[in-house]
Amino acid sequence: MDRGRTIFVAVLLVAAIVAPFVFAERAEFVIDSLFLIFLYGAMATAWNVLGGFAGQVSFGHAAFLGIGAYTTAILQPLGVSLWIAVPVGALLAGLYSLVIGIPAFRLRGPYFSIATIGIGEATRLIALNWTSLTGGASGLTLSAAPPIVAQYFAALALCVGAVALAAWIRSSRFGFALAAIRQDPDAAETLGVATTVAKTQALFISACILGIAGSVYALHYLFVSPGSVFGFGTSIGFVIMPIIGGLGTVSGPLIGAVLYSFVRDQLAVSLPNNGDLLVFGVLLIAIVVYEPRGILGIVDRLRRARRRRAPAAGEAA
Amino acid sequence: MTAPILEGRGLTKRFGGLLAVSEVDVAVGQGEILGLIGPNGAGKSTLFRLIAGITRPSAGTVTFRGRNITNRSAHDVCIAGVAATHQIVRPFRDMTVLENVMVGAFFGRRPQPRGGRAAREAALESLAVCDLADRAASDARALNLSGQKRLEIARALATRPEVLLLDEVLAGLNATETDRTLELVRGIRERGTTIVIVEHNLRAVRGVCTRIVALVNGRKVAEGDPETVLADEQVVTAYLGPTHA
Amino acid sequence: MLGAYITWWLFTTFHLHPLLAPLIIVPAFFLIGWGLERTLVRRVLGAEPIISLLMLFGVWLVLQSLAYVIWTGDSRTIEMPFIESTVSALGMQFAVPRIYVFVMAGLILIALQLFLTRTYLGRAIRATAQDRDAARLVGVDVDRVMGIAFGLGIALAGFGGSLLSLLFSFTPDFGRELSLKSFCIVVLGGLDSIVGVAFGAISLALAESFGVRYMPASLQNLISFVVLVVVLIALPKGIVGTLRALRRG
Repeated sequence: MDRGRTIFVAVLLVAAIVAPFVFAERAEFVIDSLFLIFLYGAMATAWNVLGGFAGQVSFGHAAFLGIGAYTTAILQPLGVSLWIAVPVGALLAGLYSLVIGIPAFRLRGPYFSIATIGIGEATRLIALNWTSLTGGASGLTLSAAPPIVAQYFAALALCVGAVALAAWIRSSRFGFALAAIRQDPDAAETLGVATTVAKTQALFISACILGIAGSVYALHYLFVSPGSVFGFGTSIGFVIMPIIGGLGTVSGPLIGAVLYSFVRDQLAVSLPNNGDLLVFGVLLIAIVVYEPRGILGIVDRLRRARRRRAPAAGEAA
Repeated sequence: MTAPILEGRGLTKRFGGLLAVSEVDVAVGQGEILGLIGPNGAGKSTLFRLIAGITRPSAGTVTFRGRNITNRSAHDVCIAGVAATHQIVRPFRDMTVLENVMVGAFFGRRPQPRGGRAAREAALESLAVCDLADRAASDARALNLSGQKRLEIARALATRPEVLLLDEVLAGLNATETDRTLELVRGIRERGTTIVIVEHNLRAVRGVCTRIVALVNGRKVAEGDPETVLADEQVVTAYLGPTHA
Repeated sequence: MLGAYITWWLFTTFHLHPLLAPLIIVPAFFLIGWGLERTLVRRVLGAEPIISLLMLFGVWLVLQSLAYVIWTGDSRTIEMPFIESTVSALGMQFAVPRIYVFVMAGLILIALQLFLTRTYLGRAIRATAQDRDAARLVGVDVDRVMGIAFGLGIALAGFGGSLLSLLFSFTPDFGRELSLKSFCIVVLGGLDSIVGVAFGAISLALAESFGVRYMPASLQNLISFVVLVVVLIALPKGIVGTLRALRRG
């Protein structure tokens, strides 16, 4: 990362850390909104490891969010410490991803994606029907929530952690494997890349992060139900955010998360029934057709256009 | 022939009703450049893919340094030390030339470099051998055909193979590019890598191979040094027709 | 995709005689599909298939949200005497709509099979699917064929949804469950032949019906998922050419 970027990120981080102390009394909704952005950002980043880096687009990732959420929802009222419940949730989500991966990764490209729709749905149905464990359609309620400031910092930490991990992966040996798999899995295989292993690892990582995010979600809303955490709408959100922001990049999912949060939570009140779906649908079509690299792609295009129009002396193109 | 390190025994491949390769024995000696020739449809590419682990044989075995690698996946074969290029070049389009080769450097035969820097250096070395060092930062898509073919070779070379399999690496190149590539092949062999080359260009094959195996209709019909094989009656007939023998 | 379209016109059917609805729906949907192909699908033909999947997914979102806006999320059913009517034969009661749907579906499959194998257009479509450039070289007007194929697919989806509206109640979410089942059917029976699809569909339907005897009805949808997983794990060479074709992408 170059100097300018590093400073920019540092400033943002400092602002994020200071924010709750500045706003806590005056505008709690700011803390709330930021909390959601960080949470969504972590989720989008997690999905992007498999979907953007490795090119395996999954429409069923809500399953992992749900597992994490329900684990905490079940354990917390029983008095289990969060320091145990949350990691257990993440681990269970990870294990589930390994089980799912075996059949799923036998499929390529769009077929894999369609299968994940089914996997997400099936997981929801299991949660819906396993009433003894999950309370079925009526969901589960948690006991007291941690203070909002603690939640805020948890979400922030998760988001920063996820993004840092993604950044590290991108330039690592593992990242090269994923990029090769995304572009040409057969060629990657002949170069010694164990594609199935790498895909499974990417899936595991994204599942674990989502598992933690699920716990954070549960502790915030104090209520989980199959429709909310295992729902298809949730899975779609994970897909939309990175695509809008920039699939396969590190900051793309975050940008997408901001936009998603804005449309969903701020705008949605003024839009009719499920109007946010409409906005996302249109955005998705527009992006896929005009600039598949999302907002970051548009920014890049503008930057190149500007450079072409006014080359500065001594500046490399 | 020197001691064989890669051997195919009784290799057979059927596609539905079509017998593409039939009971072929082929042995590759250490340090040689083995040519696989035959007219179109003879089964050269299929045999190539069987040896490289890209396709599973219907029957027969492939052993490398005594180990049976017959039904191993393509990545296991590469890790064992046998790397292959593709007839139709398949660069990673969203990466630069250097990044493409780094994929090979990061993976392939052990020990694999772990750090980015080590991989980058290994990749640059490979690019230098293939005369692409100056294009390291270009996008892979920007190279012309000759460059992309050399990139394909550089990438496979970066996996540190003991045996390098080249599939029609001269196809589509003009005379100058062909000579340049042949020089490259010789250079790679000099650095210790054994090479198997599937090729149509018989002049090139005569010039660079130490030994040739000829296939016609999926069967091996001749084997030996270039002069002998290329003068063999069956080979000539297969390429030029019956009146020329 | 399937879901949104079925939902949409299902709602439209609500206002018309359900049996006559296809007369309007099929041509309308054909035009819609054809139009979609010309405007949107065409632009993403060059890119990886996942891109067109995502784009059509976007279309689905748009349609689904429109359905929500126009008809709300309330469950809808078609209520008329016809739906309830039954017929006695062979000592059992059969629901008339079910017989009708069965017969229609069978007819459509047969017609489709004949179309794809016996007519020029049908063969042109199959050729284009296998190798677009080769098809061009032998004189197929690929652009027209793509438009027609897409239109046909959408029209059939609409027709299918119309038939389903006679049997089930629905919400804008309807299509999604079906897409899992369709996928399962394709995995079971194959992408290449109508016969394969018929085989897959019947197998799945039988599995589901028998499953109901042993497990709660709400788990019925899980059956297709379980079948999918089992088939994928246990039979990689399984319903053979299919899976191999799917795996090669």
